[in-house]
Amino acid sequence: MHSESKTKYYSHLVKLIIAMIVLGVAGFFARQLFSPESMGEYGHYRGADIEDQKNVPVRLQTNESCFQCHKPVRRIHKKGVHKSVSCEVCHGPYADHVKDGKKIGMLPVKKGKEITHLCLRCHNKVIQARPRTSIKMVGMPEHLQEKKVRIENTCDQCHMVHDPLLWINQAKEMIGIKEEM
Amino acid sequence: MIDIKKEIQQDRRAFIKKVLGGTIAGSLLLVIPATAQEVAEEIPGMRAEDSVFTKKKFVFIVDITACIGCGSCCVADKAEYNVPDHNYRTWVERYIIDDHDGVYVDSPNGGLDGYTKPREGLPYPTRDTFFVPKLCNMCEDPSCVQVCPVGATYKTNDGFVLVDKTRCVGCSYCIQACPYSVRFINPVTRTAEKCTWCYHRVRKGLLPACVSVCPVHARKFGDLSDKTSEVWKILHEPHVISVLKPDMGNKPALHYLGLRREVV
Repeated sequence: MHSESKTKYYSHLVKLIIAMIVLGVAGFFARQLFSPESMGEYGHYRGADIEDQKNVPVRLQTNESCFQCHKPVRRIHKKGVHKSVSCEVCHGPYADHVKDGKKIGMLPVKKGKEITHLCLRCHNKVIQARPRTSIKMVGMPEHLQEKKVRIENTCDQCHMVHDPLLWINQAKEMIGIKEEM
Repeated sequence: MIDIKKEIQQDRRAFIKKVLGGTIAGSLLLVIPATAQEVAEEIPGMRAEDSVFTKKKFVFIVDITACIGCGSCCVADKAEYNVPDHNYRTWVERYIIDDHDGVYVDSPNGGLDGYTKPREGLPYPTRDTFFVPKLCNMCEDPSCVQVCPVGATYKTNDGFVLVDKTRCVGCSYCIQACPYSVRFINPVTRTAEKCTWCYHRVRKGLLPACVSVCPVHARKFGDLSDKTSEVWKILHEPHVISVLKPDMGNKPALHYLGLRREVV
C-alpha cells in the first residue's frame, strides 16, 4: 500500500524539476543581459575598467613641466636648496593652469602670512616628530628676534622662496662675511 | 643702369618679402603655443608596456626616518583626485611614545594642513616621536576584494587593487574588511574609493603624485623586478623593514623603513 502511493504520485517532482530548469535558463539569460560585457574577462570584475582606470586625468605634473615655460624660475629653483620642493604643492595643480598646451587659468598667488604658513609646514621647530638632521628648522618668533628684524616680518622678506639662501649668500658676499649659516 | 635699378627693385621686393614672412611666422609662434613636450619617463620602461597588465612588480616604500610631516603628499593627493573634504586617500599620522610606553597618535585633518602645533598635555616626557604616512597597502591577498559582492573591487595581475566606480553599489563591506582603514565612501559618487598608487599616472610612466612631490624623498615607488631600482636595493639589503599588521596575512606591498612596533 505504501509502495503504491510512492509510484502513483510523482507529478510534483516533474513540476519541480521543470520549474528549476526554467528558472536556471532564465537566470542564465538574465545574467547575460545584466552583466557588463567584459565581466569576467580577466577575473571576477569588469575587464574594461582597466582601460577606464588608465584614462583617469593626470592633474599634477612634474616640476619639469612647469619649467618648460617658467624659465627664469627654473634657473633659480634648480640650483637652490629647495630643488626637491614641488612647484604644485605651493602653487596648485598644473591641470588648473594649463590644458592641451594652453593657459586656461591663473593659480592663486600666495602672499604675506600665507607664505610663512607654507614655510612652517616643513621648517617649524616646535614640531618635534621631525628628524633633526634632514632640513633646517626654525622656531618662529625666536628666529626673527635673533636676526633682529620686526616680529611681523614674513619669510619672503629675507628669503627668496625658490632658493632661500640666494639673497642671504649674496648679501654675505657683499659685506664680506665668510662664516657658515 | 636700368638693369641695376631693376635688380635693386627685385632685391627690395625679396627683402620685404623675407621681413614680412619672418614677422608673420614669428607672431604666429607667439599666438600658437608650442605643444607641451612630454615629460621624461619617471619609471623606466613604462611607456613601452602596451599589454593589459604590465610585467612589473611594484612596491611602495615609506621611509619613517625621513618623513618630516609636511603634508605635501596629502595636498598633492587631494589635488590629483579632487578628494572631498574630510576624506583621505592618504594621510600622515604623528606618533608620540612617552617613557612609560604610552602611545599617542594624532592626525589633524589628515595632515593636509601640515602640523602647526606641538602636542601638549602629555603626562610623561617623550621618548620617541615620528610621522607615519598611510596609504593603500596593495595587499597580495586583499580582504576588500574577497568581500565585494558585485566584483567592483579587484586585483590586477600586476598587483594593483582597484575599485570599479560603475560596479560599486556602496555597500561598505570593503570598508569594514580593510585592516588598514584606507577606504571610504565618496560622498559625491556614493561609491567606495581608496588610494590606487596613482594607477593612471604609473601607466603613463609618471610616479604617483605623493612620491613626486615629497621634498625629502620619504616615499619611494618602483619596480621590484628591476634589480637596479632603489626599491629592490632597499628590500634586498640590511634595513629595518616591516609591513603594517603582518599577522593579518594580507601580505602588503607597502613597506615601511624604520617602522616601530608601536605603529598599527
